[in-house]
Amino acid sequence: MRAVDGISFDVDRGEIVGVVGESGSGKTMTALSLLRLVPEPGKITGRILYGENDVLEMTDDEIREFRGNEVAMIFQDPMTSMNPVLRVGFQIEEAMAAHRRFTGQQARDRVVPMLQRVRIPAAKERIKDFPHQFSGGMRQRAMIAMGVSNEPSLLIADEPTTALDVTVQASIIELLRDISRELRAAVILITHNMALVASLCNRVIVMYAGRIVEQGPTRAIFKNPQHPYTWSLLRSMPRMDEVGKERLVSIRGVPPDLGKLPTGCKFHPRCRFKVDRCLTEEPPLAEVDPEQLARCWVLMKNVPNPEMQS
Amino acid sequence: MAAVPSTVEASQEFLISELPEQSSLGQDAWRRLKRNRLAVVGLVIIAIFFVTALISIVWTPYPTWRQALGTTYAGPSLLHPLGLDDYGRDILSRVMGGAAIALGVGVGASFLASLTGIILGMLAGFFKGKVDALISLTINIFYGVPDLLVALILVVLIGRGLFNIILAIALTGWLGMARLVRGQTLSIREREYVEAARTIGTPNLMILSRHILPNALGPIIVQATYLVPAAIIFEAFLSLLGLGIPPPSPSWGRMASEGYKALQIAPHIVLAPCAALSLTVLAFNWLGDGLRDAIDPRMRR
Amino acid sequence: MQQSAVTPATDPTIKSPLLRVENVVKHFPTGGAFGRAVVHAVDDVSLAIQQGETLGLVGESGCGKSTLGRVIVQLQPATSGHIYFKDTDLTKLRGEKLRRMRQQVQMIFQDPYASLNPRMTVGDIVSEPLRNFRVARGRKAEQKVQEVMRVVGLNPGFVNRYPHEFSGGQRQRIGIARALVLNPTFMVADEPVSALDVSIQAQIVNLMEDLQTQFNLTYLFIAHELAVVRHISDRIAVMYLGKIVEIGPSDAIRDRPLHPYTKVLESSVPVPDPDLEAARKPILLKGEIPSPVNPPPACRFHTRCPIAQKICSEVEPPLEMKESGRFAACHFAGQL
Repeated sequence: MRAVDGISFDVDRGEIVGVVGESGSGKTMTALSLLRLVPEPGKITGRILYGENDVLEMTDDEIREFRGNEVAMIFQDPMTSMNPVLRVGFQIEEAMAAHRRFTGQQARDRVVPMLQRVRIPAAKERIKDFPHQFSGGMRQRAMIAMGVSNEPSLLIADEPTTALDVTVQASIIELLRDISRELRAAVILITHNMALVASLCNRVIVMYAGRIVEQGPTRAIFKNPQHPYTWSLLRSMPRMDEVGKERLVSIRGVPPDLGKLPTGCKFHPRCRFKVDRCLTEEPPLAEVDPEQLARCWVLMKNVPNPEMQS
Repeated sequence: MAAVPSTVEASQEFLISELPEQSSLGQDAWRRLKRNRLAVVGLVIIAIFFVTALISIVWTPYPTWRQALGTTYAGPSLLHPLGLDDYGRDILSRVMGGAAIALGVGVGASFLASLTGIILGMLAGFFKGKVDALISLTINIFYGVPDLLVALILVVLIGRGLFNIILAIALTGWLGMARLVRGQTLSIREREYVEAARTIGTPNLMILSRHILPNALGPIIVQATYLVPAAIIFEAFLSLLGLGIPPPSPSWGRMASEGYKALQIAPHIVLAPCAALSLTVLAFNWLGDGLRDAIDPRMRR
Repeated sequence: MQQSAVTPATDPTIKSPLLRVENVVKHFPTGGAFGRAVVHAVDDVSLAIQQGETLGLVGESGCGKSTLGRVIVQLQPATSGHIYFKDTDLTKLRGEKLRRMRQQVQMIFQDPYASLNPRMTVGDIVSEPLRNFRVARGRKAEQKVQEVMRVVGLNPGFVNRYPHEFSGGQRQRIGIARALVLNPTFMVADEPVSALDVSIQAQIVNLMEDLQTQFNLTYLFIAHELAVVRHISDRIAVMYLGKIVEIGPSDAIRDRPLHPYTKVLESSVPVPDPDLEAARKPILLKGEIPSPVNPPPACRFHTRCPIAQKICSEVEPPLEMKESGRFAACHFAGQL
């Protein structure tokens, strides 16, 4: 079974790339592959270049070094990635000390500034707290502090705000924006929330059934989506700014089972704009505009009046 | 409700016409059980003992009570494959007859204890409050008294018949079941589908029987399976103390207790019933373990 | 203050209320260190729901919106207050009378995985309400079940399948079918789309809208996503720490929120449009949401409110009518 199939993309320093998709689209698996963290018995083939180095060729020592010093990962539920019986301050200190960049004393001295940097109030007192004494938003901040404490150059955030309330989400998004600017790091934001991507990302990768179906600059993807999946997804969400009550465009059916994918284009059973060719031949991810790629035989620009058809 | 609408988009558009055939939860568990070698071995042993027990009711090589069939304490021979005991009775016949008693006591006591435990446990867990306080208090008091003492008192009071022994064992065995079912009920009653059942007006009795019991059945079956060997051992123990099923019934426990006096000169007298007892108990425990893993794979340690 | 007699429960713009909630309080005892602590889950809530409308109930986790929903359908008893459905006070009903009332008041649950009994077939699940009230039996019940399944977009051929064979969206349809089969007039939907994938959410939202038109249903739609709530609701009630802080027509609430908390919520929701996003600036709240065990005195929002004054920590602002059909509980309504 191929959870992820033929993914190619690049991220630059200072850039925030959003990977969007529904559950089972392969977006999380893609992120785990980058760190070679795919659960057994998963296998990765291809090349993952970090600068000049291929992550897939690294020795065990090198990959540990890479994961610890170059990359930080932020998960949806910080509770599961923190040790419940250790104090928050100690865990951040440990995260820094584990990776040789700082001495023990330096690490200790940096804990409070790190927490202040992620805007945890009363950081001096809070380092003595245990994770459960933190609220969800505060835990996520602490997690971010832990992640960025080594000044990573790549930050992978997997649904970082999904478990949070909307007012807390807003502040975490602001924090991620600032942190990425300060670190000049490359950021990969994995999410199901298109609106978040619009708010934070420079570029977007849309995934469906383990494939990239569309990618390009955020503005192009939102203003001029070419793949029917992207187009429908954008119209299936209620928007705060909608006027009156337009009926939502719904995508019929359910995402396919990765074990038995349909022939041809993987989206064709749910697509309203399909042609005969879509049933038999899978389209390549082809350029539709400068920098914008889509995996579709039809493309939305060739569909007159798509709203009427849906 | 009006006739089937044609205007409603949902009515036609999202009909999902295909749905992969999947096995039910029960079928899944059965498949996992079949893959567990020890459980299958246990199941086969239990089946053999059951058949033997059934046969022994209508036929044994010799009557189980007939004495002086040959020399007392005689070892195994062609006529008496397991030998004769201290009264010259055929041990094979008596082991066969013992199977009926052991399984009767085991299954009977397990059934009675489970029934009591399920009813009281569900009532306590579902109604909480005073009902729970009363039932839990009873359970805790019973837990405080040694099982043997409870059984002894009861046997002394009502006598030693087969049914009385079953009753005595069940009286101590229901506690664990009641605790288990109470805990299960407490957690299941908070599930959303039970809340949903209340919002659609399902009466309490139906909530218990239709929603709570079927979802607690897995652990209940496992517990009931473990209760069988526990009851068999308990009966053997009572017999060993001379408080079991009265002679000349061929209970394995009393066969062992009678035989151990002659352990030095005729060890086969003790060996046969003990082997049968151990094998049965082991088989039920293997089956219980297998069931536990098969019904809920996550429960495995 | 001359209008202080008018509460959201007696809102004159609600011409024919189907449901009126008056001063409902729900406190839970909590096992605090000394066993005396009380969670103020819902505190003195009043509202009315117009026949045939959708009232959205929005707020962040722990604000009491789900508890209020549960109290309204009498899954939990109210600590005090009244809930009038038509002319019956639901809080006074017990036993068989309450059970009978359930034919008219139904609920759709958040988690389509947890709200269906895994040991029952779809047919049994959907027909259970019919059996409970002996509405239909045998062949007639079967027909009714198939009809309802078709209405919610499920293939009636699947009556003998079990819930775990279906996807999340399909299970939510089963839950809706179960709620619909008795022809209720009122439904409480508690976060019905929150657990679903984005592309499936629209299916369920559209389905609920269709059913409303077809069967003249009245909804209380509880959710934490303001965008979804605004889309489906005619009016919106915003909750914070057990209290309704604002209630009014949904477009008015979005375009011109009166309560600062509503304004904060509205500004926090991202819009799927990069140009608008570049211009949007969320109002960030300071501090953490206070514990419902020990809510702040007077206005509960004053500890985090960007425009709080001294009076806000001294005098509790009543939820009063500020404009026709619009209520807000704030001394400085509309000033943020």
